[in-house]
Amino acid sequence: MNNLPKKKILIIEDDRALQNALVEIMEQTGYEVACAFDGEEGLQKLAAGEPDLILLDIVLPGKDGYEVLEAIKKNDGTKNIPVLILTNLEEIDNVQRALDLGATTFMVKSDFSLKDVVEKIKESLK
Amino acid sequence: MFWKLLDDLNFIARCRKYNLGLWQCPNFLFLVMSIVTVIAMLVTNSIANRYNSEAITIFGVSGVTALIMTVGTFVIRGVEKIAEANIMKSEFISIISHQLCTPLSAVKWNLEILEAEGDGKLSEKQKIFFGNVKKSNEKMLKLVGDLLEVIRIDQGKTIFNIKDTDLVPLAEEVIEDLGYLTNSKNVEIIKKFDADLPPARVDAKKMKIVMENLISNAVKYSRDGGRVEVKLYPQKRKILFIIQDWGVGIPRYQHSRIFEKFFRSDNKSRYRTEGVGLGLYLVRAILEYFNGEIWFESEADKGSTFYVSLPAA
Repeated sequence: MNNLPKKKILIIEDDRALQNALVEIMEQTGYEVACAFDGEEGLQKLAAGEPDLILLDIVLPGKDGYEVLEAIKKNDGTKNIPVLILTNLEEIDNVQRALDLGATTFMVKSDFSLKDVVEKIKESLK
Repeated sequence: MFWKLLDDLNFIARCRKYNLGLWQCPNFLFLVMSIVTVIAMLVTNSIANRYNSEAITIFGVSGVTALIMTVGTFVIRGVEKIAEANIMKSEFISIISHQLCTPLSAVKWNLEILEAEGDGKLSEKQKIFFGNVKKSNEKMLKLVGDLLEVIRIDQGKTIFNIKDTDLVPLAEEVIEDLGYLTNSKNVEIIKKFDADLPPARVDAKKMKIVMENLISNAVKYSRDGGRVEVKLYPQKRKILFIIQDWGVGIPRYQHSRIFEKFFRSDNKSRYRTEGVGLGLYLVRAILEYFNGEIWFESEADKGSTFYVSLPAA
């Protein structure tokens, strides 16, 4: 296990308190983490780092999560990276839009514990 | 009946309640419109009788129609204003709730980290205070969650994922989650679950909201040290979920109102129970999506029994 290179996760989330907790749990689980606080920064980090998985918020300053998702899925180099949506928007149109754009799964922050988030990540990385 | 009618006609009070000016208030405008219509008919009739001329009659009728349409426009504006206010209210609540969700989720996740860090290192006293923070945050999350759920259901934006669902583990989970409430009131929950219960056709997450609200109501309105019975058993092609308490009950004159949004029974203050009056409204709205039904029996000071019937798989 230790010989394998660590999986890289890119977290795009504008709330620092949420971001901190996510980074902590990801590092504890054994992932390498990169963070971005808005959509633009997220896409830059994506180009620089080639993550194995992306955690993406929807409500972001500037480019929102949908735009970021669209950009990820349009680019041949990144379109196969699983994107897990992590948001508090739970309306059916939001979920549908994200899934139509190619998101792997949709998680509602207030319903999920960090443990649940880690479970979903593990599932998606299989 | 008569007083209610009179109350409805008291448009000045109504308009004040809606926070609208007289000329924007539908109640007042409808009254004006009916008066105008009656007068217009009388005037047209008398003109037609007196002059016996087609031209004058046509002129009269056109004039009256124009008048009615003008008043009608005012009426429509008034109604529109109320509709707009309603949309704005929903949007406002929705934005506020979303804004509340982020910090509440942040508290929850950061507590989760802290809890793992502090495992085995906290004193008994620290554990109690830590538990308090966690419980309060969970309460707040539930409150905001219910509020958002109501808005989503009202706007038809909620997601229903109806599948065959085993209700027993779901009920067990809900009862365990409500442990803080049952412990603080020292209420005993007696579970009577049928061993061969077939699965129900429901959305598990929404069904949890239904169970949570009904069971927590029963506990909240029980007397300290009381008991609550939760039953699940099959009946024909349905599943019955029954929650019975021997607490404060609902006064008969309020029976017809308990499923209304933001309604709270008079006995709430007597027992200082928390809540905003969304629970039963939400429960009934969710059950409609499952083709389920809810009814109850209740008597003041004797307790309540709520019955939920759900389609079996």
